[in-house]
Amino acid sequence: MLLSSDDAKAISEKIIARSSADACVVKIDGGEDNSLRFARGGATTNITTSKARLRISSHIGRRVGAVTTTRLDDDALDAARVRSEEIARVLPVDPDYVAPLGPQNYDASARYDEDASGFRLDALAAQAARVIAEGASRGVHTFGCATGARRFSALATSNGLFAYERWSEIDLSATARNKTGTWSGWAGAHEFLSARLDADSIARRACAKAAQDVEPVDLEPGDYTVILEPAAVAELAFWVMSAMDARAADEGRSFYARAGGGTKIGEKLFDEKLTIRVDPADPLAPEGGVGWEGVPHRARAFIDKGVVSGLYRSRAWAQKTNAEAIPFAANFVVEGGDASLDDMIRSVKRGVLVTRFWYENMVDRKSLLLTGLTRDGNFLIENGHVSAPVRNMRFNQRLGELFGKIVALGKTERTWRAAGGGGAAAAPPLLAEKFHFSSKSSGV
Amino acid sequence: MAPTYAPVRDAPERATASGDHFTLDRALLDGLADLALDGAKRGGARYADIRLGETLQEYVRAEDDRLEHFDERTLRGFGLRVLLDGSWGFYGARRLDAASVREGVERALDNARAMRAIQPRAIELEQLPAHEAEWIMPMGVDPFSVSTREKSDLLLSICAAARDNGADFCSASLSIAREERLFANSLGARIRQTRTRVHPSFTATAVDRDTDRMASRESLAPARGAGWEYVTGAGLLDEAARAGREARAKLAAKPVVASDYDLVIDPTNLWLTIHETVGHSTELDRVLGWEANFAGTSFIRPAMLGNLRLGSELMTIVADRSQPGALATIGYDDDGAPATSAEFKIVEKGVLKNFQMALGQAHHIGLSASNGCAYADDPTSFPIQRMPNISLAPNPEKCALDDLVSGVESGVYIVGAGSWSIDQQRDNFQFGGQLFYEIKNGRLGEMLRDVAYQGRTIPFWNSLDGLGDASAYHLDGTFTCGKAEPVQVAPVSHGSPPARFRNVRVLNTSPGA
Repeated sequence: MLLSSDDAKAISEKIIARSSADACVVKIDGGEDNSLRFARGGATTNITTSKARLRISSHIGRRVGAVTTTRLDDDALDAARVRSEEIARVLPVDPDYVAPLGPQNYDASARYDEDASGFRLDALAAQAARVIAEGASRGVHTFGCATGARRFSALATSNGLFAYERWSEIDLSATARNKTGTWSGWAGAHEFLSARLDADSIARRACAKAAQDVEPVDLEPGDYTVILEPAAVAELAFWVMSAMDARAADEGRSFYARAGGGTKIGEKLFDEKLTIRVDPADPLAPEGGVGWEGVPHRARAFIDKGVVSGLYRSRAWAQKTNAEAIPFAANFVVEGGDASLDDMIRSVKRGVLVTRFWYENMVDRKSLLLTGLTRDGNFLIENGHVSAPVRNMRFNQRLGELFGKIVALGKTERTWRAAGGGGAAAAPPLLAEKFHFSSKSSGV
Repeated sequence: MAPTYAPVRDAPERATASGDHFTLDRALLDGLADLALDGAKRGGARYADIRLGETLQEYVRAEDDRLEHFDERTLRGFGLRVLLDGSWGFYGARRLDAASVREGVERALDNARAMRAIQPRAIELEQLPAHEAEWIMPMGVDPFSVSTREKSDLLLSICAAARDNGADFCSASLSIAREERLFANSLGARIRQTRTRVHPSFTATAVDRDTDRMASRESLAPARGAGWEYVTGAGLLDEAARAGREARAKLAAKPVVASDYDLVIDPTNLWLTIHETVGHSTELDRVLGWEANFAGTSFIRPAMLGNLRLGSELMTIVADRSQPGALATIGYDDDGAPATSAEFKIVEKGVLKNFQMALGQAHHIGLSASNGCAYADDPTSFPIQRMPNISLAPNPEKCALDDLVSGVESGVYIVGAGSWSIDQQRDNFQFGGQLFYEIKNGRLGEMLRDVAYQGRTIPFWNSLDGLGDASAYHLDGTFTCGKAEPVQVAPVSHGSPPARFRNVRVLNTSPGA
């Protein structure tokens, strides 16, 4: 269910007008999704859903109670509001309470187009058909998912804030597996604007990676030179970014905490080639204008030429530490360099080309030790050429060390990323040395 | 010498009395179901089913001395699935009204028609029973009836107990959920069900700014299908105090020396290993490749049924939808199959005996009916194959934790679930934990830190050579196992006794190791 800005404003104003609380916040979000999964050349599941939900937060005497409902009729909204006030009245006082925001100025974020929002199952089936046809022509099995969605989010406060954003999303990901089940390839993309999604390219890349009939090479665990494709870089950068909470750093519970006290803001923790930024106006992976708690997203670098230039800071922690509130970013851009992927491959005497990673999990937050595995397209590079598929490996890698010494970066491109729950990322291919593979995996 | 660790065990026996927690208007749901199924039939659907209902959720979170969130959610909706000309079509909406259902019928039929272009083979369905039934989970105290103040006070008290006993920081949370569903299909099934689950949790953290080290200890109290009596009986305040001391002790614990060790694994850790290595690898949709693009496939092939030696003779893995207190316990799955269908052995004495199936899968391995393993995490979600409760059966012969430890010359005892990861075919894995103790010459020794164990599924389970008996059995689990695109989360429990595994690779995960 895609509510317009006017509809969302009317509903929220009605709730705020009836509120008995000291202050009140209304958040409404929802949208329509079409999604299709296919496997071995045929459809498996598909959905169309229409959803909206509304959250009322009532603030009474430095206490906040919240109720969410999916019923938008007047009786249900009244009941939800009254219940949120009941909850707030009996809670203990929050010593770090902050009142709702007043009016803000938000940067525009171009994340919506009518073409993408109009994708229904027939259009998604046409995309899937391209992957299936490419698989048939290359002699590989194909599996994948195509999604089209349009979504909205509205935020209103009794202090005069009203914000509304809408965005469209379209994505396609494809896994191809050779018919003996001994090798697989993958490609995928996620876009806000439909014209940018190239199903033919995704199909070609996934199927070409999978069409390997030679026996994969087995490598022994150890440190290897790696070329990480953009999807793999975005996966790892996500973990670097998600750890950038100011409070955790201030309290010594993070990679970004300084020994003895304080944070590492301003310190050079990474290679000077590494810059990660967030920008509502970025043409590749724009962040929304309205951030968490209603705080505006502004164009900023979180890591600037290797230096930690900012950390996320909630409004409560910003108030307590007398610093600027900075919202958590779902979307980000890893800046690239001038090397091409082919240049990087030519420069490697012996190494591994990684298409993407799978099932990463943080092992040690203090040192950003991450584990996970390669998946769906892992190749041996020998003497400047991709020489053979190489069996998947588990890695145990400290991200500070990986991003602390980058040999080369390619051109940044928009990626598909599963870890962010729909977040958009852009990243370049990356060449690094001494990437630690800790064990072999036979998983294909 | 560290004491023998005694993790949180089951709460006092639950009351069997239950209130009628099916609060939705039954006539409204029945009318909407009739409208949908009649419309689907008129539209030419060979089969149709619908799930209608509401999920109530409560999430409360405290951090140190602050109550950060107290949120209640009521999420309503329906999801209609139709099989038309050999293709599925699905529509779901967060509304329960006739106009939305009428729209849903048309959209679901349209979606099925849209699949014709990429549906080379008609989807086949197995036999389906058509039950008329009502199943309400037995429960003592309805957690939604407990006061706001009692819940917030509990979490703040947990944080205080941890911080008073050595933790510098503590966060505590409480998740509660109740599902109310009507399932109806075009064959005449009509099943009303409701179940409730609770998950109290906390993390105590100690920090040493001088050495720049931190250590956390998460609660060992598992999520359960239960009422408030489970929360009050779980000993959370005592556990939080112990966790505060243990988080502080972890800062000074002895770093493990990376090597191969014999492991004695507590059920508070082993449940996740069972889940990842056996639970997911025996899902038939993964075996068939239907999850290849996301959740992954499996190292197991259909032809291995009945002859794959997955583990040692001590390994018997049972699937169960009736286990009291378990998170996947329910009367009927989301295809309408009864819980009795989902009671089977997946592995018997180390040999693979069965897969988990949902509607439309069993005929691929020559069977005529599914075994009741379907779940949709919301009425608006397409039902897919999900785990029932899957557990390691205890040793029929008497065996206590001490008996397992006494058989180890050099090893590690692991308690609680930590970091986890496994490959897309469920073979190569790595797991951490919460607490680790050295085992030397058959006795528990000092606390260790920075331990993770790696292995491969079949060699690991074949190295099982010691298993606790029923007296040490413990049921654990999770609210949020993810699978499918779009991702759905499912609650599931896994029980086991402590178990001993030989020669498992242990890593030291500390910086500089």
